Amino acid sequence: MHSYKFSFDSMACFQISLFIIVATLAFCDFEVDCESEKKASIVYNALVVDKELQPDKVKRGMTVSDGKLSVHFEAVEARFLRASCSAFLDVLTLAIKTIEDFGQGLDF
Amino acid sequence: MKKMIALGFEGSANKIGVGVVTLDGNILSNPRHTYITPPGHGFLPRETAHHHFEHILPLIKSALETAKITPEDIDCLCYTKGPGMGAPLQVSAVAVRVLSQIWNKPIVAVNHCVAHIEMGRIVTGADDPVVLYVSGGNTQVIAYSEGRYRIFGETIDIAVGNCLDRFARVLTLSNDPSPGYNIEQLAKKGEKFIELPYVVKGMDVSFSGILSYIEATAEEKLKSNECTPADLCYSLQETLFAMLVEITERAMAHCDKKDVLIVGGVGCNERLQEMMRIMCSERGGRLFATDDRYCIDNGAMIAYTGLLAWAHGMSTPLEEVTFTQRFRTDEVHAIWREKKDSTELMEEDV
Repeated sequence: MHSYKFSFDSMACFQISLFIIVATLAFCDFEVDCESEKKASIVYNALVVDKELQPDKVKRGMTVSDGKLSVHFEAVEARFLRASCSAFLDVLTLAIKTIEDFGQGLDF
Repeated sequence: MKKMIALGFEGSANKIGVGVVTLDGNILSNPRHTYITPPGHGFLPRETAHHHFEHILPLIKSALETAKITPEDIDCLCYTKGPGMGAPLQVSAVAVRVLSQIWNKPIVAVNHCVAHIEMGRIVTGADDPVVLYVSGGNTQVIAYSEGRYRIFGETIDIAVGNCLDRFARVLTLSNDPSPGYNIEQLAKKGEKFIELPYVVKGMDVSFSGILSYIEATAEEKLKSNECTPADLCYSLQETLFAMLVEITERAMAHCDKKDVLIVGGVGCNERLQEMMRIMCSERGGRLFATDDRYCIDNGAMIAYTGLLAWAHGMSTPLEEVTFTQRFRTDEVHAIWREKKDSTELMEEDV
């Protein structure tokens, strides 16, 4: 439940976007291994409710498979990507900690 | 029959609170934690949200332990949908969405302002008062009419608590326990009244001009020893509260109600309560007010108001468990008050 796997290919996209300014996107991908389909879908359901505040600038996609939650961010500029990812990681951490603290002994 | 129990989450401003209550208004636990900034500084959304992230889970544990209940005893989970700061509101919303799925419990979204009113009514026993809701983010004069809490007067710019908080920053007063409390204590030592702008516009009030004025005059008058910080606190309180009493009295005359209930953080101010009590007694009515346990934002008020709605068949599906910075008091259909009125009518018919 603790392993955040950041794909650092995304950082390459980051840098490319700085060079090609017009109509380029900054990307960020990461994966959280929740170790169960049920836990991953609880996190997904809790976080999918909040839409991105600037949908024209930042897009977020999430999928669940094999007990893993995969998140994909796309933004028109790196600074929007940073703000959105950082805020998302905060709520993601809370969702995971809540399951760890209160999901004990439940059938997952 | 087992009493209905709700767990409520409040985190719309700088306080994060979790409360457990029963439908008859019995508060089983109500722990909270306040984000206190250094003197001279206000609280910002992101930092406040981080404070809430840190404290929400320990508060849930402490609320359940003090109330001596387990998750199975809970009937519904209630959270503040708004109004308030976005980032702090999201903390309660996310926690509630996760807990609802783990424990398999329904969720009820609650309007923060309505929660203050319902908490004030159950704690004081005021049945149908004119409500003055005064806090750091809101200033409204409210009365119930035909299914909704209607706003009769409000601030047209900043809230009265915001005006006091920001003046406390000018004097670099401590924010512990709250800037308003420290202004109130200092005001007791004030002797000289400094004339300040008095801005009532019909049923509404405005505070931002008063703040700008006192911010500018404070510096020069303090420098030339014309007055003390205590004199300024005293003068500011007297002016602001006189304005609030005036619009409350106008609303009372308009809707023909005799009693007043003061709720919200500024409602703990004893000078405001004293001034309002004088006005009420002159009109043959009563003042209802509470102390800091219930006036200041807390989880129990959210739990209680959510439970009222839940008991009348209302709940919020998971995909609608959102939060919003703007959420007016009169958007809420206060269904629990309607039902009560109709049963009273039926009893009268019999």
